[in-house]
Amino acid sequence: MVMTRGRGRGMRGGMMRPMGPGPHFGPKMKQFVPRLPFDMVLCESAFPRVKPAPDESAFTQALLKRNADLSPTPAEQAAVLNLVTKIQAVMDNLIVDPGNFDACQIEEVRQVGSYKKGTMMTGHNVADIVVILKTLPTKEAVEALGKKVCDDLRSQEPQEVLVLTMLPNDRGFEISNSEATVRVLVTTIHQNLRKLDPELHLDQKILQSHLAAIRHSRWFEENAHHSTIKVLIRLLRDLRGRFEGFEPLSPWMLDLLAHYAILNNPSRQALPINSAFRRCLQLLAAGLFLPGSADTLSAGISDPCEGGNIRVHTAMTLEQQDLVCLTAQTLLRVLSHGGYKQILGLEGNSSIASEMSVWDGVVVSALEKAYEKPPERPPQDDDTDNMDADDDPMETTDN
Amino acid sequence: YTFEFHTATALPVYMQQTSQPAATVAAVKTTGNTWQTFKKPGTMQGKTQKPKAPPKPQQLHYCDVCKISCAGPQTYREHLEGQKHKKKEAAAKAGPTPSRHGASLRCELCDVTCTGADAYAAHIRGAKHQKVVKLHQKLGKPIPSTDPVVVGGTTKTSTTTAGATVGAKTTTSGAAATTGTLTAADGKKDDLKDDLLDLKEKDVEPVGQEYIEEIKNEEGKVISFNCKLCECRFNDPNAKEMHMKGRRHRLQYKKKVNPELVVEVKPSLRQRKVQEEKLRRQQPGLHQLREEMWRRREEERLLEEEERWYWEERRRYEEECEYLDWCRRYPRGPPGPPPMMPPGMPRPPFMPGMPPMMPMRRPDSSDDRHVLAKHAEIYPKEEELGAIQKIVSNTEKALKMVSDYLAEVDAPKEQQVKPKAKKEKEDDSKGEDDKKDGEKKEDGPPRMLKGVMRVGILAKGLLLRGDTNVQLVVLCGDKPTRTLLDRVADNLPKQLAVVAMEDKYDIQRVVEEAALVVQNIGEQRISVNVTLTSPIMREQLLHDGDSQVIAAKDPPDVLDKQKCLDALAALRHAKWFQARANGLQSCVMVIRILRDLCQRVPTWGPLNSWAMELMCEKVIASAGQHLSPGDALRRVFEALASGLLLPGSPGLLDPCEKDPIDAASPLSAQEREDITASAQHALRLIAFRQIHKVLGMDPIPPPKFQRGGRFTRKRRRDNSTGEGNDSEGGDGKKDKKEDGEDSKMDMDKETK
Repeated sequence: MVMTRGRGRGMRGGMMRPMGPGPHFGPKMKQFVPRLPFDMVLCESAFPRVKPAPDESAFTQALLKRNADLSPTPAEQAAVLNLVTKIQAVMDNLIVDPGNFDACQIEEVRQVGSYKKGTMMTGHNVADIVVILKTLPTKEAVEALGKKVCDDLRSQEPQEVLVLTMLPNDRGFEISNSEATVRVLVTTIHQNLRKLDPELHLDQKILQSHLAAIRHSRWFEENAHHSTIKVLIRLLRDLRGRFEGFEPLSPWMLDLLAHYAILNNPSRQALPINSAFRRCLQLLAAGLFLPGSADTLSAGISDPCEGGNIRVHTAMTLEQQDLVCLTAQTLLRVLSHGGYKQILGLEGNSSIASEMSVWDGVVVSALEKAYEKPPERPPQDDDTDNMDADDDPMETTDN
Repeated sequence: YTFEFHTATALPVYMQQTSQPAATVAAVKTTGNTWQTFKKPGTMQGKTQKPKAPPKPQQLHYCDVCKISCAGPQTYREHLEGQKHKKKEAAAKAGPTPSRHGASLRCELCDVTCTGADAYAAHIRGAKHQKVVKLHQKLGKPIPSTDPVVVGGTTKTSTTTAGATVGAKTTTSGAAATTGTLTAADGKKDDLKDDLLDLKEKDVEPVGQEYIEEIKNEEGKVISFNCKLCECRFNDPNAKEMHMKGRRHRLQYKKKVNPELVVEVKPSLRQRKVQEEKLRRQQPGLHQLREEMWRRREEERLLEEEERWYWEERRRYEEECEYLDWCRRYPRGPPGPPPMMPPGMPRPPFMPGMPPMMPMRRPDSSDDRHVLAKHAEIYPKEEELGAIQKIVSNTEKALKMVSDYLAEVDAPKEQQVKPKAKKEKEDDSKGEDDKKDGEKKEDGPPRMLKGVMRVGILAKGLLLRGDTNVQLVVLCGDKPTRTLLDRVADNLPKQLAVVAMEDKYDIQRVVEEAALVVQNIGEQRISVNVTLTSPIMREQLLHDGDSQVIAAKDPPDVLDKQKCLDALAALRHAKWFQARANGLQSCVMVIRILRDLCQRVPTWGPLNSWAMELMCEKVIASAGQHLSPGDALRRVFEALASGLLLPGSPGLLDPCEKDPIDAASPLSAQEREDITASAQHALRLIAFRQIHKVLGMDPIPPPKFQRGGRFTRKRRRDNSTGEGNDSEGGDGKKDKKEDGEDSKMDMDKETK
């Protein structure tokens, strides 16, 4: 087997993007680092079962119940939908007929995020909309747009005047009524990204992240529409909310993890939710999101929406990678000793991840961090030394 | 295309109208029609102007060019020398170039051209103009009316003659576009001028209102404005308005806010045409929009295609992986229960090692180097191996002779000759004998002791430094009994004395273990456990139906059944190991490392060797690719960390048992939990470059001079010869060599 290791690092980033129309361009753009961590699902055939799998119907039921608890109520969904529809309409209007509004020009409006993906959680009635400006996104333009949208909304429905608020922020602005919030994330067309001035415009990183959000939701629509994935994402996001150690995981990482856990298996059939949930913890515990061995990039999950083989988890610091991994490791042990109710938050609290607990006479202890900050080294005189991957302090350069 | 030749004092001012390019010919009649004619008067006038200025009779030293007065002759001279004056003068000399713009207003008094009424008004109100007015009043110069005479494109002002006196009148005429550029360095006034230039008040919408910051005083009254785009300030609201319509501001706006804002370009005719072309295209609008949309669609399509292609590629790759995995697993198939060990089974190599290293594609990683170094540290020394080899081969030889002896004693009289003849042969070559032994079984009654096998770490090549306990299994023709054990134990010392006259051995019976222990007497105590067993013990289990019948026939002093079965299992394990683990890259090395870990770390103690070996093989083989030692070790920890030993996992199905049995079944739930937790921590230590902590060694600094150069490769080769020397092919030779070494060592001992 051909191993492609450690290459493809130089060609990272969006530069490659516009020039890859098809397979004839060859595989130079995206390469796969093949050494994945141990994954029981992928090598099931090497591990025939000694005894039949334990009955997990109670666990499955608990997962489904938790999902039901986490899903937004019809009323919530309606409230969000309502506000989103109105704002979308106002923005569409602005595209077609800007009238005397000249603070900015809107190129396109896209719904993104959990609202679009259908992975919203109850009690969090926030939908995300990305507005792509044809003009450059100055702070004033964004604020003016916010005001304009808000004014138009008010004029449409005067009875809402009292409850409608508009809050500008670093990413765009938020429009909320009493029941729901729509986060309007502002960005600009690709060509404009180079012309940005940090003094006047929104932060370039933020703008790019908003463009990425569009790619993410499109990818999701095409690849991850399976209902089990949505359920799993909701459960994982709930997990992230309750266990501090999972905080560094971004929603996008969770999306990809859920998709991976459910669909990346030999049969290509979606795994049942109980197996998939456990697999997420197993994958994290086995170091899917840890750095690889010294001169190998860790496999992780390659970001499908970025060129150059970027591994999604490298957006986390090494310390965070350690923390996420050890939390998953402890929870996996708790889960295998029957502690699913505590993990799902149906009973108990989140201390199981950080403190010793006893399950059926078995003591499950929490883990300690392994990551140590590399000692401060004076800059080496020989460059070759630094070139050697062995010698680098752990690399986080991938993000 | 008209142009006017107009001069104020000595200063010629050209103004022209360019908004109607078609009218060029019309201009000819007024003055010259070539550029030369412009220049001539310009340079001439410039020269004559200079000497004119100084001899002004007034006390005030007034500079006509700059329209300022100076306090004294000294300052006046300095002014004339100064940059500002020079520039003005130069500008005056060069003369304005034609501008394409429409009507503009000009303040003759200050020599300022304003492009709009607002601008003009602002100028008239401005401090600067007021100052000049005052000055002129002082000087007694005529002050023209502040009312601009509005002159359209073709309308001419009354003052068109050259050499007109100072401040004749405010004239409206075509704006000189280049005046702005030429005097651009002239500070604030020019800012304003620049803004006002090139202005078509009627059709230009002010832009960027939101970037004009209002600066208020304490009372909240707006006192000035600050344009954030252009970084300039104005006090006058009108100036602000002007500014927002101005070209400079619009350029900034285009640059910083809306790249699509159309800002008219001043320069050449050609460029202008391009611009107009653009404008024309924009006016229908639709066309351009469509084009834009098409372009974007195309872009999106490409992105999508790329994405789809990526996933396609990825899927193909994964399928390929699966296929390889499949190929790798399938031909070997599940091992299943091995066939019964024939007595003449080929002797396992003494120290089976890894096959010759695959050529590596990459240099050793830090993990690899640590694993290799640790492995070299735990691998037994030559002397140790030699000592063990000696006692084992002596014991084997002696047991063979015991077998012969017993066969001879038990044989019926008439058959006694044959075994004797065979015995002579056997002494020559052992391997042959084993085969013949099997063949000859039919001839006479079965031998009591059918063969001797190495099992455990000895057979698998897992000896570590400091190991002093190895195991042999003797297969018996019938169920081994206490009586048989005694007979062997009685005869063995005699045979040992024959085999190795110079060595002294101590032999003990351990009846409850169904074994006897051979120990050498010397400084380095090595013990060989010889367990008696018989395949019949297991056959009985495998055929349940007959069990009662056979059980009934059991001799009264039969040895412990479980021990005998364990010995049989050990035989199967050894065979499995040679078939599966030996050929797998990095596997034996990782198993040795883990054996060391199990001995070193109490948490890992309970993990039995067989379960550990089985697990390592499965985990490493299931990777579906060659793993370097570091990666292989990491993968084992990954598997444990992901809960391989935890309840709910598939378990480690023992391939050497008929019934599904978890090879790790002796582990308690707590032990499984603790091992898992320890592996989880170890995995993170490895990931974060602290593998030395897992291996219990000092960190190895990275190689200094080369990148995967000779040094590591050399070490790798050393290692592979260390463990790879017993590859199946070179079996017999090796033994001889080691024997040779043994005798050398013996000699050493004797000399001592």
